[in-house]
Amino acid sequence: MVDSTRIEELLKRPLYVYDLPLELLATLTAKSGNEPLIEPTSEATLKDSEAAAQESAIANSTSCALCNVSYHNVQEQRSHVRSDHHRYNIKAQLRGNAPLDEIQFTKAVGELDESISGSESSESEEDDADAGTDTTLTALLKKQAKLSESNEEDETVAKKSVAKNPLFWLSSSSLPSNKSLGVYRAIFSTAEQDEPDHLVDTIRKKQLTPVKARTSKNQVQAPTTSSPHIFMCMIGGGHFAAMLVSLAPEIHRKQGGIEDRQARVIAHKTFHRYTTRRKQGGSQSASDASRGAAHSAGSSLRRYNEAALEKDIRELLADWRQMIDSAELLFIRATGKTNRKILFDKHDGQVLKQNDPRIRGFPFNTRRATQGELMRSFKELTRVKVSEIDEAALAAAAEAEAAKQKQDSKPSIPRPQQQKPKLSKEEEAALLHTSQIQALIRRSKVPALMSYLTNNSITASFTFQPADSPQNFRCPTPIHLASNLDAPAVVTALLVRAQADPTIVNNEGRTPFELAGDRATRDAFRIARHELGESRWDWTAAKVPSAVSKADVESRAERERKAAEEEETNRRKAGLERLQKEDAERAALKAQQAQRPGGRTLGAVEKTAAEKRDEETRGMTPEMRMRLERERRARAAEERMKRMQGR
Amino acid sequence: MAVRAQFENSNEVGVFARLTNSYAIVAVGASENFYSVFESELQDVIPICHATIAGTRIVGRLTVGNRKGLLVPTTTTDQELQHLRNTLPDDVKIQRIEERLSALGNVICCNDHVAIVHPDLERETEEIIADVLGVEVFRQTVADNVLTGSYMALSNQGGIVHPKTSIRDQDELSSLLQVPLVAGSVNRGSPVVGAGMVVNDWLAITGLDTTATELSVIESVFRLGEMAPGGAGGAGPNKESIVESFY
Repeated sequence: MVDSTRIEELLKRPLYVYDLPLELLATLTAKSGNEPLIEPTSEATLKDSEAAAQESAIANSTSCALCNVSYHNVQEQRSHVRSDHHRYNIKAQLRGNAPLDEIQFTKAVGELDESISGSESSESEEDDADAGTDTTLTALLKKQAKLSESNEEDETVAKKSVAKNPLFWLSSSSLPSNKSLGVYRAIFSTAEQDEPDHLVDTIRKKQLTPVKARTSKNQVQAPTTSSPHIFMCMIGGGHFAAMLVSLAPEIHRKQGGIEDRQARVIAHKTFHRYTTRRKQGGSQSASDASRGAAHSAGSSLRRYNEAALEKDIRELLADWRQMIDSAELLFIRATGKTNRKILFDKHDGQVLKQNDPRIRGFPFNTRRATQGELMRSFKELTRVKVSEIDEAALAAAAEAEAAKQKQDSKPSIPRPQQQKPKLSKEEEAALLHTSQIQALIRRSKVPALMSYLTNNSITASFTFQPADSPQNFRCPTPIHLASNLDAPAVVTALLVRAQADPTIVNNEGRTPFELAGDRATRDAFRIARHELGESRWDWTAAKVPSAVSKADVESRAERERKAAEEEETNRRKAGLERLQKEDAERAALKAQQAQRPGGRTLGAVEKTAAEKRDEETRGMTPEMRMRLERERRARAAEERMKRMQGR
Repeated sequence: MAVRAQFENSNEVGVFARLTNSYAIVAVGASENFYSVFESELQDVIPICHATIAGTRIVGRLTVGNRKGLLVPTTTTDQELQHLRNTLPDDVKIQRIEERLSALGNVICCNDHVAIVHPDLERETEEIIADVLGVEVFRQTVADNVLTGSYMALSNQGGIVHPKTSIRDQDELSSLLQVPLVAGSVNRGSPVVGAGMVVNDWLAITGLDTTATELSVIESVFRLGEMAPGGAGGAGPNKESIVESFY
């Protein structure tokens, strides 16, 4: 019992997939339903191809396997093959639909007649019977096409939930049966994904011991390239962000011995260039390709910037080549031809290959390519998802699914057109409020949000409409949304000023506090607890930890900032010392060399300042040269001024 | 008789030629090697026509025909049509077809009595096929492939279908067409039997890569050579006399 409560405790903290707690790791098992369904291969075809022996007699199997009918003689068979029924079944088979038998087919056609008679009868009456059946067949096929499209969608959704689920679900005997842990499949290599039975072992194998953070004493620690790391990059709209991040977490020891695990970023870089066309959108090169090169100033700027961005990115990747080559996985988001071209097009010193098995996309939505977004993506990828599933509800859902499939297997029954329920006025208003409030929270517009709430006299515990949309499923109230988006200012305002209820749980059974993703947001809740007082809400039900005052938080932040600063100065100092030492060594070496007899080497003639300047300005336009000159003079004047003041 | 030939290093003989019981169409090649194979077999029997269709050499894939007629796609130019008209016998009807699926040789497979066509062919096309070629038209698939013309080679004596066609499908097709069928390959295992060879009632021309086994299957199912009614091994009227002459 003690053990299980301990694990419950563990689950409250974000779980890092490469550093799972031991007690949890030992009991992990793969959840059933992960394995993709393997369709039983029909042995008949195998046998058939084997037995395709010579046979030179005219066979007299006067049946139709497709339509599942048999006939007495060839004439009947031939007339069947020319019938609409057979032709319909051939097309249905090619489309992947189930063939219909005779009765189903006539029924389907009959129903079709009822539905289309209004529009067709007046024109097709004088047409001969042949053409008439043709139109019905086409109409039926068209209708089937629509139905099958929607069917297909359902099927893909169903398939996704079974075979192509981006998450790999695990259960643990030390967890309650309704709790399961989810890990993204994408973090496993292709070979590992092929063997779903061994994924649990793979997770166990992949555990890494956290690295102690560098303290000021031993700062000489080269970034270890040997440790497992991954490369992530995103390109889009002129933004580029790339990051090499080590999978071994780093432990920072904070004041009071609290250990804080953080991702260790080996290297990161972002670029931004103005490449997308303002207002129209799309890249300049795409526009050039589609309607010829424009000759505006903006277009040439963007063309230049595209080229420059490409150059920057390729240089950066070339710099990181060694690390990228040794990276375990490459997470790349580059949509669009231009963006893919930058990474994968053939060029000198190409680093990324399109067919690299390590490459994968982000299995979730990502936003603008920034360092923060990369960090968020990394956290999302490596955090173990904890989900609580009500088994009974699941069984009910499965039953409903089965029932639906049963209904689907009779495609002759057209499903009633799903009618959109008429929205009442209140519902429409609620929808409007929902969109407005969500937009305001997204942009962290606290004053606007407050005034919107008061002007429309909406309580802060307003539930978003429609309640069944996926987003509102997780964040049904403003406070949930604010917390989920990590907007501490909004959270504070909603709690303190709008008196939002922090004890409301969302459909996953979580309070707003549990959705908070960073410390600032969590602190916002704790501060609110302090300011509102213990009696205002049932804070334990809201799962908000003990109250802290704003001053406390600030002082803590201040302390941390100071510590970080100190560390930084120490690091700088050390670096400086090292540089000085190196300089001294180099000087010593030089002196040693200078002692050696012999003239200077060729081409190393000292240049005068004028010569250097000349070399710098070579190849520049006169304007550029002038500007450079002016700048240089300005700098010299500044320098003079400073010296005068110093004196 | 089954012979092997090659069109400019390509084994896909059926792509560059169309052979029927009353005429043959051969693509214009850089050399006359390919043409001379046809010439040596067919000279003075049926006319052989050098032609292009829509300026291309893939005449076998773009056209379809039998003893009674020839269908060409809408892309055929007037000159080409005129040339065909001038070269082919007068009792052969020639018709240009307005059909979205313009590679007629790929979507239609026929002998002098029946045609198996792509299920998506237009109704008008189906009627034209029936009228011009004088055949019964069936919309069917061959081993779940819609390109019946590519995956099936058919003569009045027999037919070869895609090697992966199930026995049951073979039986049904055979009963529908009233000719013996066999699943086989040409050109050393190529499943595209329709494009890999041309065949009529007394001659088959396959790619140079075709193995002896493949050739023997072809000869037996199309009743060519030894197995033919007029051949030495067959059960034709000549058999008795040949057997007699041995003794």
